[in-house]
Amino acid sequence: MSLANIGIIARLELTQRLRSVGWYVMLGVFALVLLGVTGLAFAVYSWGDAVGAGVYSIVVNIVLLLVVLVSPTLSGNAINGDRDAATLAAVQVTAVSTGDIMLGKLVAAIATGGAFLVVALPFLALSLLGGGADALVLLVSLLVLAAEIIIVAAIGVGLSGLIARPLFSVATTYLVVAALVFGTLIAFGLGGMAVRSEATVSSRPYDANGNVDCERWEENTSYEVPRFDLVWWTLAANPFVVLADATPTEFSPDGYPVDLFGQIKYGLRSAQQSPLDQRWDECAPDGGYRTPEEVIDASVPSWFVGLGVQVVIAGSLFAGAWARTRTPARRLPPGTRIA
Amino acid sequence: MTGIVVQDVSRAFGAVQAVRAATLRAEPGRVTGLVGPNGAGKTTLLLMLASLLAPDTGTISIGGVDPAVDPLAARRLLGWMPDALGAWPSLTARETVVTTARLYGIEKPDAEARAQQLLTMVGLADLADAPAKVLSRGQKQKLGLARALVHDPRILLLDEPASGLDPEARVQLRVLLRRFAAEGRTVLISSHILSELEEVVDDAVFLVAGTVVDAAPTQSSVRAWRVRLADATPERMNADTWQVASSLGLAPEALAVDRGAVLVGFDGEGAAAQSLRRLVEAGLPVAEFAPAQSDLEHTFLNLSHAPQQQAQPPAPQPPQASTPAPPPPAAPPAPPAAPTGTEAGA
Repeated sequence: MSLANIGIIARLELTQRLRSVGWYVMLGVFALVLLGVTGLAFAVYSWGDAVGAGVYSIVVNIVLLLVVLVSPTLSGNAINGDRDAATLAAVQVTAVSTGDIMLGKLVAAIATGGAFLVVALPFLALSLLGGGADALVLLVSLLVLAAEIIIVAAIGVGLSGLIARPLFSVATTYLVVAALVFGTLIAFGLGGMAVRSEATVSSRPYDANGNVDCERWEENTSYEVPRFDLVWWTLAANPFVVLADATPTEFSPDGYPVDLFGQIKYGLRSAQQSPLDQRWDECAPDGGYRTPEEVIDASVPSWFVGLGVQVVIAGSLFAGAWARTRTPARRLPPGTRIA
Repeated sequence: MTGIVVQDVSRAFGAVQAVRAATLRAEPGRVTGLVGPNGAGKTTLLLMLASLLAPDTGTISIGGVDPAVDPLAARRLLGWMPDALGAWPSLTARETVVTTARLYGIEKPDAEARAQQLLTMVGLADLADAPAKVLSRGQKQKLGLARALVHDPRILLLDEPASGLDPEARVQLRVLLRRFAAEGRTVLISSHILSELEEVVDDAVFLVAGTVVDAAPTQSSVRAWRVRLADATPERMNADTWQVASSLGLAPEALAVDRGAVLVGFDGEGAAAQSLRRLVEAGLPVAEFAPAQSDLEHTFLNLSHAPQQQAQPPAPQPPQASTPAPPPPAAPPAPPAAPTGTEAGA
């Protein structure tokens, strides 16, 4: 395995993509979408002081959305497409190793996803007009975005090596990515609603004088509540949740997250709280209400678990494809021809 | 340099046994033809030689290297031209060859010089900067050949290299292959176009149903020869047939007719030469006297393979046959399609 060979393979892949008009049309459409999204984002976050951070978080999330939507099409036929076109064997018979081919194709798929990030750079720069995001937020969110681009690319390349037909491998890549993006949401929603428990609502009793008794609690009512606190972990592997959960949250002075990352993170962390014992404390300032900042501080991060799950999925698919692509081939995927 | 040595190699795909205990040698300095009907396992065998497919059993040696043990070393020695060339559609012919050279570890300046040289050699210099997708089938074959030669391999594996080539390119290919053999390289070439293969190969290996078969016993069987008298016309065929038959002491009904010539079966080259003398001595204006099929074609069609037996044109009876079962002259046998080759088993 050598870096030079990986570079040649990656360049070979990218050259073919760069010479297709459709690719530029797609990037152009993406730029237009970003233009609209950035305009709306400025309007959305105009209420706060940290407009730039809000706009920045929205643009990064849109880039992730595009990567998740488009990457499977571009990487999901990396290997079986070449097999179909009889160009894979022409590479395999040269002095490059299977590792060179696999990693070269992965690098090309990552670069393709990265191209969306490059198109988004001017819009990220625009967010600086509104004050921009914190340096740490910028760094961590871009790192996580890069990790997600790599994971989706590895899933696509992996499935393209394991499944004989390009059509099916692209569809399967979409299904795996959709399982992470939507499947986790559906599991969370249905799971939480399916498991219900009795929750009690308590408040401070009043004495005969109409004063609040701050020593005792009084149970008012009880009702069934969905138990999202038992199923919140299903969201951990969601790419958008990983991105939001990993990124350090900035809060406004009154304890509210200033950007989309923080708002998603608050949603996840709130779901961790048990709904069984709900108390309204008139004796406490703000009625015992906890700000998002307090909720987030009192809950546990999960992004590394989610990222770990994604890495295991992508890594095992990629490793499987590597084994299947090895030559001299002992076993071939059913229905394939070497050349 | 030991050329190609294949010993007891078998390979199955699921329940289909593609190659069974094949054993063959291809010597350096010689062009070896790999002949067999469709589905005989030629491509599977070449894929194993090209280090892309692992044999189930048996050993392969490519210039002394076992491709199953050290595929990278074998790949530096061998050049492989597949039957269907996959060209990267948006790369030009030159970029295709340069990229392939780079994949063999050749530095960029050398790769570019090599590409120019090879594209000129195969006759694609004018199209060097055209995208590969606009190339015709024959031009793609030429590109495939250039690509197979990019790292100056000692051993060449060519799978149907002549398909799609125009006659001039075929002649050039033939000259090229002879040159490689003269340079001491090992050339293994598979083809259906037996008449063409015949003009270039030193040795032939026959592969039938995955097994290398011995072609020797068929050498003694009867072969059809074309005998054409000068200025033969269709109207004159009956007269010509009669003349040839009477000069050779045969019944005219025993002879068939094919494209202006009379087909006569001889038991060997000695019998044919003797008969030619008799025809000339009888004063017949013999303009053509040659085997109706190439050697390879004849051997190939006589292989112990049932479908081939049926596809074979019925040979006229030998001159010495005492109990002739004459084919009616009015119904000439299917002529061997010499210019286009015979796709046996099709």
